[in-house]
Amino acid sequence: MLFNSWEFIALLLLTMLFYFNVSEKFKTIVLFISSYVFYIFWRWDFALLMGAVSLINYFAAIRISQVDNQNSKKLWLSGAVILSLLPLIYFKYGNFLIANVNATLSAVGGHSQFNYLKVILPVGISFFTFQALSYALDVYYGRTKVETILLRFSTFVAFFPQLVAGPIERSSNLLQQLKTHQKFNRTSFIEGAKLFIWGLFKKVVIADRLALYVNKVYDSPELYGAPTLILATLFFAFQIYCDFSGYSDMAIATARMMGFKLMQNFNLPYFANSISEFWKRWHISLSTWFGDYLYIPLGGSRVVYLKWIRNIFIVFLVSGLWHGANWTFILWGGLHAMFYLIENWGDKLLKKMNLSSIKNTTWYKLFKIIVVFVGVCYAWIYFRATSINDALLITYKIFNHWDQSLYLGASSITFALSCGLIFMLVLVQLLQYAKICSLYFSKSKVPPLLSLVGYLSLLLGISLLGMSSQSFIYFQF
Amino acid sequence: MSKKKFIYIIVGFLSAFFLGDYVVGAILSGGLDKYYGLNSNAELAIVGHSHLMLGIDKQKIEQELNIGVAKYTREGVNLDERKIMIDQLLEANKNIKTIIIGVDAWSFTDEGLSANSYKLFFPFMEYHSINDYLKEESDWQEYVTKKMVRTSRYNELLLGGALRGYLGNWSNLKNGKVDVPNLKEQIKSGVYRKITINNSKVNTINKILNTLEKNKIKVILLNVPTIDIMIDAQKEKATEVFGELNKVAKKYKNTTFLNLQEPWSHKYDLFYDGIHLNPEGQKVITAEIVTYLNRMDLLH
Repeated sequence: MLFNSWEFIALLLLTMLFYFNVSEKFKTIVLFISSYVFYIFWRWDFALLMGAVSLINYFAAIRISQVDNQNSKKLWLSGAVILSLLPLIYFKYGNFLIANVNATLSAVGGHSQFNYLKVILPVGISFFTFQALSYALDVYYGRTKVETILLRFSTFVAFFPQLVAGPIERSSNLLQQLKTHQKFNRTSFIEGAKLFIWGLFKKVVIADRLALYVNKVYDSPELYGAPTLILATLFFAFQIYCDFSGYSDMAIATARMMGFKLMQNFNLPYFANSISEFWKRWHISLSTWFGDYLYIPLGGSRVVYLKWIRNIFIVFLVSGLWHGANWTFILWGGLHAMFYLIENWGDKLLKKMNLSSIKNTTWYKLFKIIVVFVGVCYAWIYFRATSINDALLITYKIFNHWDQSLYLGASSITFALSCGLIFMLVLVQLLQYAKICSLYFSKSKVPPLLSLVGYLSLLLGISLLGMSSQSFIYFQF
Repeated sequence: MSKKKFIYIIVGFLSAFFLGDYVVGAILSGGLDKYYGLNSNAELAIVGHSHLMLGIDKQKIEQELNIGVAKYTREGVNLDERKIMIDQLLEANKNIKTIIIGVDAWSFTDEGLSANSYKLFFPFMEYHSINDYLKEESDWQEYVTKKMVRTSRYNELLLGGALRGYLGNWSNLKNGKVDVPNLKEQIKSGVYRKITINNSKVNTINKILNTLEKNKIKVILLNVPTIDIMIDAQKEKATEVFGELNKVAKKYKNTTFLNLQEPWSHKYDLFYDGIHLNPEGQKVITAEIVTYLNRMDLLH
């Protein structure tokens, strides 16, 4: 069920109708049923899988809280982690592992090959697995209290606004809110509706339109020269941002309409002036997840220098692998790790040369924003390309094939519109950066009437220019 | 926020949206009417798909013959959809004396054109015939959305059409010349649209001609040339289709079949690709049609 469908609107309205009108003891049941209905629209059998992941973490957390012995706690946690990750590994990484084993066997002259698994990836498996796991980990580390009501915990794992593509919520936030039954708040409803319109606009007007050009070029990169490949990569940078942040906005907005506050997942990432800042602004719920449950347990930065480098690489490579079972994603993560380290060395060099003060100048910050954006765009090539060969070919052509002219796409109107929409997005983001426009329910300096006209134009824009054929990129993760 | 204010905001916002939608929808609809010559005093109408769209210069005919021309051509429309377009034209334009209907060797072929071409008709869902057709072709969600929200009936192609209507830009040109070796290679490897004869399509053309005969409108079934490489690949079938078109045309007093396949199909410089003409080709074929219309005195 997509957010931009009549089914979803009907589900949301029905959920709100029941949720705000039933007695307190039935409110969680309403959310639980809605969440599973939302998921069952894709596949009923995968809803069982989500239920199983919920049960594993629910019971493991109870046992962790009951046993006193640290080793027993560790054992229960390890069990929960392994059992929760098994379906993810099977469905998402099974064929990737088989392909690599087969390739290795071929390389060493072996003749036997493993058959590929006939599986499809359950939508949102990486998201609900990580959300359920974070709870068990938090109980283990004593960061959260154990939840004894299974229905409430299952609703936390399956909460439909953010079920299939995040933000990955923590029990300290969402589970606590599920305990306090929300009342209909008119201001929250309007705030949510406004954010929903903006998210939907980013998705169906900008992202899906840019996808037409990006898909065409990236499907056959050998046909195009440097100008086209650079433009397609630039378009992809905005496509993936609008696609994913659009979904996050709609998820946050939907929850807000029902009175729930989900965490912010994007904060103007392309305005970051360092790679570390980029990761504080891009997919915030995932980067903090890896920070809290992988980087810190590995020792974080409080280890010897070489171990710290190892930790950085582990976190970024795992993050790459989380995004997809392909070497392109791993390389994408590796590139970000390298950028991170280069930036760190650059900062140290500036310090050695007593030039640290330059970092506070506007020109340096602007220069860094551009450098970071170019670096991130370069890494997107590996993220979007269908194979490493394609990514390398694109890189090679970008530096060598300047003789081919720029491809303007199948329709010049679409091309002009795409460029215009990117310009508009950047303009809005500049206003958000300058805190003139509001971002995630913060105060806005825009007069209410102008704001109303703005949202009206966005809605008309969705109706007139919206495309509905593309599904969300992040659903595959 | 008080309940009253909340209701004011919601009702006000929705009312403003639907009002804006109505106004923008009406403006776009007016532009499309101008572009396609609907609701005009045109005496000559041209109906077909991209083959005919790129084959005829409407403004040149208007200049040469000093009459109004409605060029109602759309990408990917098959014969059934051309019937709907003609019904719509008859409903919208009362002065039509002659209609040129685009036909070609694939006129009776079922598959191959756009499966989504019905979407191009959404802006005209106020017409009864088109509304019924759209109800059949689209799913209920799509139909209800388009019915409720006028601006959602448009896509970029239609937006461009509306804009061009207001700008008075009727040129349909594709610059470039066909890549003959590549086309031959494609034909050799069997990558081309196969010609078939579907009886339901023959029935459709009979229905169209019947209606036009009843309305006393003269008809030219026009075959704008297709490159000979494409036709030669399935010559027998093509000859059969042209024979059928000839037979159908002879059944109706008001109808003629104008086959411009020769002497142009082997002049590769006139083609943009295997099917469509380039601006040079359009010039040649438009001149042929002007001569034909003058000679046959079909407009009087």
